[in-house]
Amino acid sequence: MNTSAVAVGEPEVHGLIESKSPSRLAWERFRRDRAAVIATFVVLFFVCIALLAPLVCKVLGINPLTLDRKALNDYGLPNGPFGAMSRKHLLGVEPGTGRDILARLIYGARISLLVGFVSTFLTTVIGVVLGIVAGYRRGKVDAVISRFTDLTLAFPSLLLIIALTRPFTQRLESMGVPEGNPARLTYIVLVLSLFGWVYVARIVRGQTLSLREREFVEAARASGAGHWHMVFKELLPNIWAPVIVIISLSLPGYVAVESTLSFLGVGLLPPDASWGVMLGDSVKYYRADPTYLFVPGIALILLVMAFNVMGDGMRDALDPKSDRQQLG
Amino acid sequence: MSAAVDTPFFYFPVARLLRIALTRFIVRRIFFALVLLAAVSLFTYLLFALLPTDPAALTCGKNCKPELIAANRVRLGYDKPIYEQYWQFVRGIFAGRTYGSGDIAFKCPAPSLGYSFNQHECVSTLIGKTFPVTAYLSLGSFVLWMLLGVGTGIIAALHRGKWQDRLTSLVTSIGVSLPTFYVGLLVLFSVVIWLQWLPFPHYASPTDNLHDFLTAMILPWITLAVLSAASYTRLTRNGVLEAMNEDFVRFGVAKGLKNRTVMRKYVLRAALIPIVTIAGLDFAALLGGAIVTESVFSLPGMGRLAIRSVTDSDLPVLVGTTLVAAVFIVMANAIVDIIYGVLDPRVRLK
Amino acid sequence: MKRRIIGVLGVALAASLVASACGSSSSSSSDTAASNDTVAAGAADTGTPTTGGTIHILSQLEQITHLDPQRNYTGSDLAFVGSTMQRALTSYAYASGAEGSKLVADLATDTGTPTEGGKVWSFTLRGGATYEDGTEVTCADIAYGVSRVFATDIIVDGPTYAITYLDIPKDADGNSNYPGPYKATADQQAVFDKAVACSSDGKTITFNLNRVVADFNYTTTLLAFSPVPKAKDTGEKYDNAPVSSGPYKIKSYEPGKSLVLVRNDKWSKASDPVRHAYVDSYVYEFALDPAVIDERLMADAGDDQYAVNDAGLQPENLQTVFNDDKFKDRRQDSYDPYISFTAFNVKTVSCVEVRRAVYLGLDREALRTAGGGPYTGDFADGFIKPALADDYAPNKMPDGLNKDGTPNIEAAKAALAEAKTKCPDVYAKATGDGLKFFHPDTPTWQKNISIWIESMKAVGIVIKPTAVEPSKYYPTVQNDKTDYDIARGAWGPDWPNASTMIPELFLTSGGFNLTRNGDDPAYKQFETDTKAALNELDRTAQGTKWKALNQFLVNQLWSLPGTFLKAQDIWGSKVGNAYKWASSGSYLFGELYVKQ
Repeated sequence: MNTSAVAVGEPEVHGLIESKSPSRLAWERFRRDRAAVIATFVVLFFVCIALLAPLVCKVLGINPLTLDRKALNDYGLPNGPFGAMSRKHLLGVEPGTGRDILARLIYGARISLLVGFVSTFLTTVIGVVLGIVAGYRRGKVDAVISRFTDLTLAFPSLLLIIALTRPFTQRLESMGVPEGNPARLTYIVLVLSLFGWVYVARIVRGQTLSLREREFVEAARASGAGHWHMVFKELLPNIWAPVIVIISLSLPGYVAVESTLSFLGVGLLPPDASWGVMLGDSVKYYRADPTYLFVPGIALILLVMAFNVMGDGMRDALDPKSDRQQLG
Repeated sequence: MSAAVDTPFFYFPVARLLRIALTRFIVRRIFFALVLLAAVSLFTYLLFALLPTDPAALTCGKNCKPELIAANRVRLGYDKPIYEQYWQFVRGIFAGRTYGSGDIAFKCPAPSLGYSFNQHECVSTLIGKTFPVTAYLSLGSFVLWMLLGVGTGIIAALHRGKWQDRLTSLVTSIGVSLPTFYVGLLVLFSVVIWLQWLPFPHYASPTDNLHDFLTAMILPWITLAVLSAASYTRLTRNGVLEAMNEDFVRFGVAKGLKNRTVMRKYVLRAALIPIVTIAGLDFAALLGGAIVTESVFSLPGMGRLAIRSVTDSDLPVLVGTTLVAAVFIVMANAIVDIIYGVLDPRVRLK
Repeated sequence: MKRRIIGVLGVALAASLVASACGSSSSSSSDTAASNDTVAAGAADTGTPTTGGTIHILSQLEQITHLDPQRNYTGSDLAFVGSTMQRALTSYAYASGAEGSKLVADLATDTGTPTEGGKVWSFTLRGGATYEDGTEVTCADIAYGVSRVFATDIIVDGPTYAITYLDIPKDADGNSNYPGPYKATADQQAVFDKAVACSSDGKTITFNLNRVVADFNYTTTLLAFSPVPKAKDTGEKYDNAPVSSGPYKIKSYEPGKSLVLVRNDKWSKASDPVRHAYVDSYVYEFALDPAVIDERLMADAGDDQYAVNDAGLQPENLQTVFNDDKFKDRRQDSYDPYISFTAFNVKTVSCVEVRRAVYLGLDREALRTAGGGPYTGDFADGFIKPALADDYAPNKMPDGLNKDGTPNIEAAKAALAEAKTKCPDVYAKATGDGLKFFHPDTPTWQKNISIWIESMKAVGIVIKPTAVEPSKYYPTVQNDKTDYDIARGAWGPDWPNASTMIPELFLTSGGFNLTRNGDDPAYKQFETDTKAALNELDRTAQGTKWKALNQFLVNQLWSLPGTFLKAQDIWGSKVGNAYKWASSGSYLFGELYVKQ
C-alpha cells in the first residue's frame, strides 16, 4: 500500500466505489478548483510566449531592438496617447528610443522566467538534498548543515548581491562565461540560489524530522529497509507535495527580485530587456507616459497572481486535511 | 512546558536535569552566536578585501595619477597584508582607531568600524545617525503588518472556502511577490502627486518635528506593512487551519469547551508561536536596513547608507553596515532559539 | 573650466541629455552651431533684490562633494561655496549674461599685476576681510591654503594648477618636491615660501611661476587659492567643517540630509566688493529623488516657492514645463558651458577612416531625441563652444555628414570600404570582434548604447558595450590599463579660454585625455602647435591659433564632437536672480534673493 495514503485519508466515495490513487484524487480536486485551472492556463500561456518569443514577434511583425524615431515627438516622448499605441505598436513605444513595448515584454518574459525557473530549480535541488540529509541523519550532520544555514542567513542578502555584482560578473567573464548578459544572468541565478536554498532546506528538514517519527517510517525501518529505500520510497514521496507548493510560490518571488535588482541598477545590461528593466525605467515617466508605467506592472501582477493561485490550488489539492474540522 | 512528550519520565530528577540543560543550552547558544558573528565579520571583510577591483584606484576622481593611487593605498591602509588589515579592523572595534598623523590626526572611538573618506565621518557615527530611522521604519511596519496579517489570516481561516477566504487569497497572492519598489513608487505617486493627500515626505526625527516625521513615515509604513502582511496572512491562515486539525483541538471540543475558548487557548497559541518567531526574524532582517523602501521614500536610514556605499565604492561603510545587519539577524536567531529551548525541552536535549 | 562631472554621473548626464525648451524665441537652430549663448531673456529677470528670507536648494546628491576649498572642483559647488563661504584673490563678476565671465577683484584690490612677461604675479590684498570667528584674513593664510594643494595624499580631488604652475622643482616622475605643509621639513617649506611669498607688511602676495601664464589671475578665481587659517586646519576633516571667510557660515551639515547656512555676522560688506548676501540663510536639501524635485518645483507650494535645484530639469518633464504657460515666468532654457564628445582609443582605433565611418553613420538625431530632443543641445561642430567667441569659428565638417544629425549610411559605408584597404586590421576589428564601448551604467546610457548598437549595425560596425558603475566611470577609463575602444565624456572650460579645453582633452599631459593619441603620427605637430598657442600672449593671435587647432581636431576625429549642451530649469516663483552664471553654468547661489 502506498504510504502516502495515510497522509491523504480515505478515498472519496462517488456512485461507484472505486479505489483511486492519491495522486488521482489530488488531480481531480485540482481540476475542480476553477481559479487554479485558469491560473495554470495563464502560466502556461506566459511560458509558451516566452519560449516562442522570436516566432511570436515575427508573426506580429515587431522587434524589440528596432528604434522607431517616428513614434516619438521632439521631446523624445511617445507622440500619441497611451504611449503611442497603434496597430504597429500594440502596447506603445518606449520613450527615448521608440522601441516596441510588446516585443520587449515578450523577450523580457524570457529572461524573467529564465531567472525564475533556474533559480527555483537550483534552490529546490540544493534545499531538498540538504534538508533531507539534515533531517534524516540528524546528529552531527544535521548540526553542520544547520550551522551552515545559520551562517548563510546571517548575511544581508540583497546588499551583498548588489555590492558583489560587478566584481563577480567580471570574475565569471574571466572564467570563460560569455561577456555581458550571460555573465550577469549567471551571477544573478547563482547568487539567488546561494541565498535561497536555505528556506527550502529548513522546510524540508522540518518535514523530514516529523516524518521520521511517523509510524510508516518506523515500520519500514523495522522491516529492515536501507537508507536509500527510506529516503526515496518513504520520505521523498511525502515531501514532494510541499516542495511543489514551494516551487510555485517562490518562482514569482525570484522574478520580483530580478526586477528589484534591475531597478537598483545591477540587473540586466542593455539592449536586452527584462520586466525589471522596464519597470525601473518606466517610473520616471509617470507623468509624461503613464501607460509605460502600467504595462509591465500589470504583466508582472498577472504572472505573479497566476503562479500564486496555481500554487494555492496545488496545495489545497494535495493536502485535504484542511477539509476537516471547522470551528466557528 | 509542552506536554506532548511521548517518553515517560519521572518528575523530580528530570526537572533538575532540564533546568541544568536549560542554562547550558542558553550558554551554548550565546557562545555559538558570538562565534557566528566573528565568522561573519571575517567572511565579509575577506569578501570585500579580495575583490578584484583595487579600492585605492577608486578613491581619486579625475586627477588619477599612479603615484596618487599609490599614496592613497598607503593612506587607506590597503597596502598591508589582508590579515593585518583585518586585525586592525577587529582591534578598532574594541579599542577605537586613529587615522593620520601629527596635527591632523583624528580618532574614531570604540566601537570603530572604520572611517569613510567619502563622507569624512567615522562609520560608527554614520550608522548611529541612520539607525534610528531604520528602527522607526521597522517597528512601525512590524506592528502594522502583524495586526493586519494575523487578523486577516484568522478571518480567512475561520471562513474557509467562503468569499472572505478567496478574496484574501487573491489579494495576498498579488502582495506576496510584487516588488517593493514598484508598489512603493506607485503609492508615492498616487498619494502625494495625483491625489495630493499628503505633502512630499521630508524626514525629521520625531523629537524635532513630529508632523514631518509622521507624514514621512506613514507611506513607507503602509507599503511595507501591506506587502509583508500578505505573506503573514497566508502563514496565519495555514497555521490556524493546521492547528484546528490537531488532536488536542478535537479533545477540547469533545470536552465541551466553547469554540471560542478552544480557538483562544489552543489553536491560536499553537499557530501563532511559530509565526511570531518568524516575524521576529523578519523584523531583525529589516533592522539591517530596508534598502528598497528607504531608497524609494528617501528615508535617511541604514539601508540607504549601505546602498550608497556600494555606488560610491565606500568599502569601510559597506563592511560596517553588513556587519551591523548580520549582528541583528544573528541576535534574533539566538533569541528565537533560546525561547524555543525554554518552551520545548526536546530542543535543548538534542 | 575643468568641469569635473559631478560624482553622481546621473546628474551630469541629466544635464548632458536634457532637452532645450524653446519657450518663446527660438534661440537655437538645429543645424548650425553658431547659435548665441544668451539666456532665454525675460524669465530670469533680475529685478530689484530684497534682503531676507531663506533659499532652499534641492539636490539629488548625498552631500556637497567637497566643502574644503582646496578640494572643491565641481562647477556648481565652486559657485555655491565661492559665493557664500570662501573668498579668493579674484572672482568673476556677479552678473547675468556675458558680464558674468568678466574677471574682478575679491580679496585683492585689483586683478593682479604680472611682471616678467607673466612669470611673476603679485596681488595687493584689500584688507578688512574676516573669518567667521572675527580673526582677520592674512596673506599667510592665503599662502597656507595654496600650500595645502601639495599635500596630495590628503587634499585630493581639487584642481592642481598650483602644482603645475608654481616655481617649485619637480622630481623625475613629475611630482613636486614640496610634499605639503603637513609633512614638509623646514627646507622644503622654505622652497614653497619662496614661490608664494608674502611681503613683510603682509599686504602683497607674490606668485613665482615656472613659466609664463598669461591668465594666471583667472586661475586664482579657483577656491584652491582661498585662505585657510593654519591653526584651524583639520586636514581630512576640514572637508565637513571649513572656516568661512564669506558672508555665510555653516549652522549644521548632515550629509544625506541637509546643509544649513546662516549669516556670518563677522563678514564685513565693506571689504567685499563682490557679494551682496541678500538672503538670511540657505538650506541645501540632499538625497531627493529627481522626479520628486521636479514635482515640488512644479507644484510651487509652501517653502518650495523659495527653491531652486542644482541639476536641471529631468528630460521627462520638459514637455510638461515648456508646453504649459503657467511656468512661463520661472523656467529657462540656456546653454551650459559643457560639450559632450565620444573619444576613441586612438591606439586601437588608429584608422581615421574607421572613425569617420562611425561619425557619418551614427544616428545623432536619435541620440538627441533620446535625451529630450533639441533641448539637449546643438550638434557640436568641434570642441570649442560658440560662447568662447574669441576662440570659436565654425568648422568644415567631414564630407557627407548630415547637418540634421541623421545617419548617412552610404557615406559611412564608403568610408568603411576605404578603411578596408588602408587599415585592414582595424577594419577587421570594427566589423568582426567589434569596438568596445565603455559607458556608465545608467538608465539614460542604457538607451543611448542601444541606439549606438543599432545605428552602427546598419553601417556594418559592431559595438560591444561594457557598462561601468557610474561613480567608477572616470577612474576606470582614465586608467591606462583599461582596454576600451570608445569612451564618452563631457568637458567645459575652466575659464573663458580654449586653453582649458583643447590641451586638457588632447595633450598627453592633459587632465582629461581619453584618446591615448600620443603615438598617432599627427600628434607631434599637434603638440607643437598647441604649446605655441598656450604661450601666445596676444589674445587675438591666440584665438586664431585655437580656431585652427579646432579644425584640425575635427579633421582627425580622435574624438567625435557630440553636443553643445543646454540646460533647462524651473525655479520657485518667489526666487529672484535665478540666472545661470556664465562662468560656472550653474546658479549663482549667493546672489539669489527672495522676492518679498
